[in-house]
Amino acid sequence: MSRYIETVTPDSLSGAIFAMEGVERAIVLLNGPTGCKYYHSAISDNQLIRQSDFDPLKYPFTWYFGQPRVPCTYVDNDDYVYGGEEKLVAALEFLRDNISFDFIAIVNSPGMSLIGDDIAGIAGRVLGDRPHLAIETPGFSQDVCQGHELAALALLRSIGFDDSVQVVPKRVNILGMSLSQIHHYGDVLEIRRLLEGCGLEVGCALCAGSSLDDIRSIPSAAANIVIYPEFGIETARCLEERFGTPTYVCDGPPIGFAATERMLEGICELAGGSPEAMLEESRTARARAFAFISRVNSISGMPNGVTYAMEGCCSELCSYMEALTGYLGMTLTGATVLNPQTSQWYPLLSQMVAEYGFPEALSVEAGEAQADIVLGSGNTIAALKAQRRVFVGIETSLPTIGYYDLVPKTFLGISGTMQLLECVINALPF
Amino acid sequence: MSRIAVYGKGGIGKSTISANLSVSLARQGLRVVQIGCDPKHDSTRLLMHGAPQRTVLDYIRDMSPVDYRLSDVLGRGYLGIGCVEAGGPQPGVGCAGRGIISTFELLNRFKFDSDCDAVIYDVLGDVVCGGFAVPIRREYADTILIVTSGEFMALYAANNILRGIETFDGDRCRIAGIVQNCRDVEGEDERVRRFAAAVGLPIFAKIPRSDAFTRAEHERMTVMEMLADGEGAGSGHEDARLLELFDSMARRLAEGCELHAPHPLSDSDLEAVVLGGGAPRASSGETVEHPSSNLAMDHSILPKSTASGYLSKNVIYREPLHGCAFNGAMTTAVHLTDAVLVAHAPKSCAYISIQNITSSGRRTLFERGTLLPRSLLPSVECTEMGQPEMVFGGWEKLESTVKRIKGEGPKAIVAISACPAGIIGDDTGKIAELSEDGLPVIAVQTDGNMTGDFQQGVFAASIAIARALIDRERPKAPKSVDIIGEKAVVTNSQSNYELIAGYLERMGIDIACRFLYDTTIEDVRNFATASLVLPAYTDFTAQTIMSFFRDEYGMEVFDRAFPIGFDETCEWLRQIGGRFDAREVAEEIIAQSADAYAEAVEELRPSLTGKRLMVFTYNCELDWLLKTALDCGMEIVKICLVDYSQDMGFRTRLDVDLPVEMGYDPSKRAADIEELKPDVVLANYTAPNSSSTYVSDVIPMCPDVGFGSGLALAQRWARRLDTARRGLWEQDEQIYRDRYSR
Repeated sequence: MSRYIETVTPDSLSGAIFAMEGVERAIVLLNGPTGCKYYHSAISDNQLIRQSDFDPLKYPFTWYFGQPRVPCTYVDNDDYVYGGEEKLVAALEFLRDNISFDFIAIVNSPGMSLIGDDIAGIAGRVLGDRPHLAIETPGFSQDVCQGHELAALALLRSIGFDDSVQVVPKRVNILGMSLSQIHHYGDVLEIRRLLEGCGLEVGCALCAGSSLDDIRSIPSAAANIVIYPEFGIETARCLEERFGTPTYVCDGPPIGFAATERMLEGICELAGGSPEAMLEESRTARARAFAFISRVNSISGMPNGVTYAMEGCCSELCSYMEALTGYLGMTLTGATVLNPQTSQWYPLLSQMVAEYGFPEALSVEAGEAQADIVLGSGNTIAALKAQRRVFVGIETSLPTIGYYDLVPKTFLGISGTMQLLECVINALPF
Repeated sequence: MSRIAVYGKGGIGKSTISANLSVSLARQGLRVVQIGCDPKHDSTRLLMHGAPQRTVLDYIRDMSPVDYRLSDVLGRGYLGIGCVEAGGPQPGVGCAGRGIISTFELLNRFKFDSDCDAVIYDVLGDVVCGGFAVPIRREYADTILIVTSGEFMALYAANNILRGIETFDGDRCRIAGIVQNCRDVEGEDERVRRFAAAVGLPIFAKIPRSDAFTRAEHERMTVMEMLADGEGAGSGHEDARLLELFDSMARRLAEGCELHAPHPLSDSDLEAVVLGGGAPRASSGETVEHPSSNLAMDHSILPKSTASGYLSKNVIYREPLHGCAFNGAMTTAVHLTDAVLVAHAPKSCAYISIQNITSSGRRTLFERGTLLPRSLLPSVECTEMGQPEMVFGGWEKLESTVKRIKGEGPKAIVAISACPAGIIGDDTGKIAELSEDGLPVIAVQTDGNMTGDFQQGVFAASIAIARALIDRERPKAPKSVDIIGEKAVVTNSQSNYELIAGYLERMGIDIACRFLYDTTIEDVRNFATASLVLPAYTDFTAQTIMSFFRDEYGMEVFDRAFPIGFDETCEWLRQIGGRFDAREVAEEIIAQSADAYAEAVEELRPSLTGKRLMVFTYNCELDWLLKTALDCGMEIVKICLVDYSQDMGFRTRLDVDLPVEMGYDPSKRAADIEELKPDVVLANYTAPNSSSTYVSDVIPMCPDVGFGSGLALAQRWARRLDTARRGLWEQDEQIYRDRYSR
């Protein structure tokens, strides 16, 4: 079970591509083989829809290979030996002359980043002053969040900011959200809704659906908020250093009432918002949740003591634990950290685990733990099903098993907490 | 700030010149950093007085990124000159060019040049690859010096460097000139002068041959230090000239000298210029034909003795590669149930492959609650090739991973390599040497897409596994078959197999091996015991694997795929029944379905007779569907066959003229529909159809096998034609476009 979970996780290449796909009207040109593109195109278009069907004939074959996103230069052995300039130039010229876009990001595949083609120079020659960015080395086996931040920072460096821009009171930029997060679309909607409910204005959701113009307006924000810290803290530091914009960094994504309320109060204090309406909504939600939890508890004693295991980024695990153990009283039996290289939040996770009384849980992988409920990717849940394990899986990371979410889902904020509680209550073994 | 790159042939004296130039710049009060870009890492040795210098690449390999500090790799030499050595792999392994890229990325992260006035890049030899070209990219060097002697090879390298610069710069001017480092060979001055004139560059400096360099080296210091400090300085004029020469070079570089554009010579012009004028020596006039020019891309004449002899369609026709061989091999080999796969790759490659492997398992679990263990529980581990492996080679990591897994008791290990492993030259094939009795280690050196596309990877894994495991000595079992060519990523592979296995069981035929689908190592060892090989498909992929088993194992291979549709299934059962002396059972099976088929066709005829059918498809085999349509009285007005990366050539056993257009241009679709006015339009992918003139439906790429396949589709068309019911959702396309498309 555990053989591939630890060593086969999305890495920085995916992080970089998804970050750039999160820019509205951007084209991410993968300078690499087609094998690196299919997955990224499929996920990108599931997260931020641009196509209505799967007919491959609708997209230019040569660069798009039947998919609507992430065109690629389909390099082969000759290109590794002689350089891939010819194909890159042809692809850029095609995109420049035939596709409507605001921005092109060229991302090298791991193989192409080894051979040292001057992709920035080539892009500059073909695209001239049209906005573009070249990411020559998206990293080798680094965490997905590192790839996201690498690309986000490169994007910021490539933008010509107007340093004299006036700060707009109560305007907030959202950082640290990525298409690699399972409910990305619903997550962004919920965070926007909460911030606007506090009287704040969302300026730019960096790499999370905002446009190039939104990105250019980044210096005008009164504050930045980092939702998934591993995906945004370096970016926030960069913006703080360059524009002096203060940052509210969530300890982990706002999962659960307590984390959400902390976030609302924290960002409002920093950016001048008023959290009261959203806090009242949170209290109303808690009241409704209480009724359901109490009723289940009255006949089963649950959810207290129900066991769960989880996998995810470190800060995300902190948030889930606060919600499931801190709020619901459930017992953690195993946890797998999927971003070992960027787990600055590991000490916090260890501390929380110790405080809650499950110090051994961090030494048991999610897939190996005895648990009534497992929070993980569709792959992990399906693998456990294949082992005939008896449990209920809650999908918290990609890939999904296959359910189409027409109603945007989220586990963040007030709506997301209710969604999570709904999943958990329906998973209780009574 | 001055940023100066010093290029030239290996051993020409770049490091000596760079170090002395650094000292001269420092003597003028500039803060200088010298960066050695040579795996030998000896550029700054004299500046550091021989003190060992930790190379950047060793540092990257040994340290965690969170602990990186500039001071750990930036030494301080004579006059406080900053000294950095990129370092690199041992000769023959890894990728030194990648090492240069990694070094610059780290130095940039540190903003290493934020408090210096001059940077000297001392760069290895020729511009042999993109990595070594990094310093001459615009963002690093603004001035370039090219060091050469009067020897031909040195001038040849100088000319190559000019070509490299031209690639990046075109006519932009960045070259200060040629530094002639004299070797005192005959005619040297004249040759260098002719070369400089031909390429339009000045001779920036001429450095005389002097034993002062040897004396200084003996003292582990630069000539400039030795002469300036007076220790070890020789007497006289020559030393003073050297001192003045480097100071003068430094002054001109610091103050900004005239810069020139690159104008490299062709090889023949270079030879003419350097060897003393005249045209290049003419050839004998005989045309020597390159041996490869006689090689037609004919599958039949390619060598069959190696895995690469079985080539995919993309590879044979040099089409764009669809997917990569690494993924094809992973997806195939994962079906060896008691083996562990080692992906010698960065995580991204393995991760993408895992999504492909698990996709059908997740889907069938979600839709039908069916568990496909190989798809859902792939036994895969990744070597997680990182930056250090890219620079120093990944062999050790692969070897240690395989050795560790061997200790965990698998029955076999299959190692499959991705592009980076191939590019840096890791010899993944060598891992097979770790095989032991009872524990084969099978190497599938796909090197990502360097060997080909997904289909090529399917061949590579199939062939490597077959050769490693099939036992030719086992006795034949007369009533036993193998099954080959099942598609790993198709959701109906298992249900199709179960239907066929049921037919075979009723006819008393055993299955020795499913190659490769949910297959044990013992199954593969048994492969040659079967008396007949049954292909699940007869597309290009299956045909290639079929010919491998015919060629190498002398196996008899059935020429029909798993049957789809009524007639195909009858025919298949009769032939198999005949082959295994089970005709009566075959006829029993057919009889049980024949009446039901005929009855269903009769029910459909009122709705479908006379209706016009048009097909747009990648499928090269459509008899199962066309036969049912014809049985129901439909007219086939056109079959439009779109080029497909995995198969070629329309194949039919129907004895009717079919209007087939090969290599169909999809942009003609609307016009053809308008002209031919079909009642039913079939395609592999359908789109919202606001037209009320025809019914559109989907043809599965890989249909269910058995009697009822064509019927199931025809029944759906009949229902659609009878009711003319069209979902109102199809009218919302414009609303969608307004909100989502761009």
